[in-house]
Amino acid sequence: MAELYVKPGNKERGWNDPPQFSYGLQTQAGGPKRTPLTKRVAAPQDGSPRVPISETSPGAPRMGPPPLSSKASRPPPVGSCPASSVEPTNFPVIECETLLEDVLKPLEQALEDCRGHTKKQVCDDISRRLALLQEQWAGGKLSTPVKKRMALLVQELSSHQWDAADDIHRSLMVDHVTEVSQWMVGVKRLIAEKRSLSSEEAKEEKSTATAEEHQTVPGVQRAP
Amino acid sequence: TMATYLEFIQQNEERDGVRFSWNVWPSSRLEATRMVVPLACLLTPLKERPDLPPVQYEPVLCSRPTCKAILNPLCQVDYRAKLWACNFCFQRNQFPPTYTGISEVNQPAELMPQFSTIEYVIQRGPQSPLIFLYVVDTCLEEEDLQALKESLQMSLSLLPPDALVGLITFGRMVQVHELSCEGISKSFVFRGTKDLTAKQIQDMLGLTTPAVPVQQARPQELPFVSSRFLQPVQKIDMNLTDLLGELQRDPWPVPQGKRPLRSTGVALSIAVGLLEGTFPNTGARIMLFTGGPPTQGPGMVVGDELKVPIRSWHDIEKDNARLMKKATKHYEMLANRTATNGHCIDIYACALDQTGLLEMKCCANLTGGHMVMGDSFNTSLFKQTFQRIFSKDFNGDFRMAFGATLEVKTSRELKVAGAIGPCVSLNVKGPCVSENELGVGGTSQWKICGLDPTSTLGIYFEVVNQHNAPIPQGGRGAIQFVTQYQHSSTQRRIRVTTVARNWADAQSQLRHIEAAFDQEAAAVLMARLGVFRAESEEGPDVLRWLDRQLIRLFMFHLRRSPFLQVFNNSPDESSYYRHHFARQDLTQSLIMIQPILYSYSFHGPPEPVLLDSSSILADRILLMDTFFQIVIYLGETIAQWRKAGYQDMPEYENFKHLLQAPLDDAQEILQARFPMPRYINTEHGGSQARFLLSKVNPSQTHNNLYTWGQETGAPILTDDVSLQVFMDHLKKLAVSSAC
Repeated sequence: MAELYVKPGNKERGWNDPPQFSYGLQTQAGGPKRTPLTKRVAAPQDGSPRVPISETSPGAPRMGPPPLSSKASRPPPVGSCPASSVEPTNFPVIECETLLEDVLKPLEQALEDCRGHTKKQVCDDISRRLALLQEQWAGGKLSTPVKKRMALLVQELSSHQWDAADDIHRSLMVDHVTEVSQWMVGVKRLIAEKRSLSSEEAKEEKSTATAEEHQTVPGVQRAP
Repeated sequence: TMATYLEFIQQNEERDGVRFSWNVWPSSRLEATRMVVPLACLLTPLKERPDLPPVQYEPVLCSRPTCKAILNPLCQVDYRAKLWACNFCFQRNQFPPTYTGISEVNQPAELMPQFSTIEYVIQRGPQSPLIFLYVVDTCLEEEDLQALKESLQMSLSLLPPDALVGLITFGRMVQVHELSCEGISKSFVFRGTKDLTAKQIQDMLGLTTPAVPVQQARPQELPFVSSRFLQPVQKIDMNLTDLLGELQRDPWPVPQGKRPLRSTGVALSIAVGLLEGTFPNTGARIMLFTGGPPTQGPGMVVGDELKVPIRSWHDIEKDNARLMKKATKHYEMLANRTATNGHCIDIYACALDQTGLLEMKCCANLTGGHMVMGDSFNTSLFKQTFQRIFSKDFNGDFRMAFGATLEVKTSRELKVAGAIGPCVSLNVKGPCVSENELGVGGTSQWKICGLDPTSTLGIYFEVVNQHNAPIPQGGRGAIQFVTQYQHSSTQRRIRVTTVARNWADAQSQLRHIEAAFDQEAAAVLMARLGVFRAESEEGPDVLRWLDRQLIRLFMFHLRRSPFLQVFNNSPDESSYYRHHFARQDLTQSLIMIQPILYSYSFHGPPEPVLLDSSSILADRILLMDTFFQIVIYLGETIAQWRKAGYQDMPEYENFKHLLQAPLDDAQEILQARFPMPRYINTEHGGSQARFLLSKVNPSQTHNNLYTWGQETGAPILTDDVSLQVFMDHLKKLAVSSAC
């Protein structure tokens, strides 16, 4: 559910600054091109440049309107382009406001989970950044797309989808760096620590299970 | 037939990443010389091959010490005796024990013809992490510094977690930041006026003992080597994010009428010395971000008095650029050391005025580093180009690769005359090396410290077969390209490409030679050679060399083109355009020589049109791609319709689609190209229409040979008409003079 949008470049700093593509658009795998612009036209054989035709001959009558849209006219170009205008992000039609609690609580819980496994200094640092996130959110400093994507990130994190959560963090850093840079690196680290914790737990379970296999005597009840 | 050869050329390019000027080779030195266009090829060593999974074993080498060619489909094999004959030196070799099971029906991949290009993964040896050393100019305007800081913070999310990262900032002084997880950040400060030797730098930074392996807290992870100044991203990202966030503008006040004191030369020197002392011979990028010219210390390009402008081509021509030679020497020294250490230097230069790319270009060109030129760090052009450095391939691996060595072996009728591209010579002599040099010669091996799947080298050959030496019936010449490199996953890999082409005798087989001529490859190879000579030799000598060539028409245009005739661009701009021309693949290089022009109208699908003013029509939209710029131009009537708002009326929906079509096509180019082009959306009568108009009327720019300081934007090599005529002319001359 990446955002796919194009914004104009910075016209004040560079009048020919190209448009800015969202992270989602930039990371899309290149499919077949709409119109591969690679062909050239053979020049006239005698090698002389054609006589330039003046664009509008003086005194020519003004052109009327363009041809009307009809079945007989040229069909629109084939192939779809995701979102090439300067419209804002594609939101679902029904908008429900993303609550701070829905994002912050799971993050704080994830941090708690990591406390035994991660160095205190790192936990404190992450905690400090989560506080910053809370402050900025509550202070109305974060835009709606950022809030929405954070909600998604937290969902992926809770479902142990580390790569997906990581990708969302990356998309936020690329598309909204000014808003998120101070605290997002804490979220990034939290994802990494949870991932590492989770793989350690998985290994421990595996070795415990193996140990139990060797110990269990059929028919003997295990103590609760 | 022509059609078959076009297919042959295309198939070979897709499979091997190679395009030869001639696909049927002249059988003697005498004939080759008459053909004017040298036997040469464009090679893209790491061409993306999603259909070619690497093999997990090491290549088999010819046992002759002076040969060591790699087993390939051209070798003859005796499956019963388990012997193979090297196709280059004819040595008979025993297969290694692991090959005892092979047979005609059970061939190893490297013997199959479809694996003329094959990649091996080297299993042994340590895998060192990638290293990114940021060297940041703090003499920027507040807005620019803020934007740059944010881009660098963002990049920490794009770097591989186990990569090492470091930070050097500079202005009047140079600061090397110690990265630690403790609260207090320390740094080592150097004066920006005095250059230091590598040893002095290493001593002052306490690098006299080599970096030691450090066991990580979690024992199941591999030990890594680190230093106080280069730490793993996953460990240091939070602290470095804060450190970057707190960076201030250079505190030294800049008086009225002066430039900031910028010690780029010393900053780079320290960066090179730091990496040299800690991580030699492993993939590393020194990334220089600068917003103005070096103004003090070694490598200074201009003084701090604003009233003394930075050198122009005019100054250089009149021998009035007193700082240029010394500065260039400083950066060349650094570039060569960096290449020897296997590292690369990127230059990200964002400023309205020149920044000294002319003097610093060797840093990128010799090491394979990037050169990015923009107006400000707070532009989409810089931000997205920078993001694209970290783009990933179909496997989710970074496209960037490091520490490559390219070796070329030839069958005995050929020798290697040289290479042109982002490389340095490894000075390896041998039987394949020609005494005549074209490009970087005198060697059969080169080093490319930074590269990616589009990096392309021009490699030039010499036919040495004597005229009276008979060619065996059906004889073929062969060339093997062996590229060893560090993949971004830190694995070492070897890509081997072995190609063969038929020899032909010009007397009896002229039609074959003519049909197998690749005019596009020839044009790019000749142009690269011309630009290489213009860069490394005195201007007038190069022009005289061009005049002596038979292909006067092409050379006439090339010599007047902005790649060689530089007066319509600043020295930095010329360096920037030439940098990209010397490393892009064939398709992109051709766009630079001859921009693409497409016309959109109601009369049918978009079609290519002549790069001529006759293509500018009132009821058309034009899309022009010069590689460095994308220009959309609305004809007069289209512009009037748009102004009248027809695109918003439902009954004129087809007009809305017409307006959108070139925008969508432009977007596809903008989404993928590195570096990001500038984007001009203009119309008849618009002030920016001049970008299109100057390209379709090249005579206007060519006639202004001595006007300088006027910026007309991206150059083209030739106009449409003469390129086509050149192509035909070239073929006729090249082939007929061989008779």
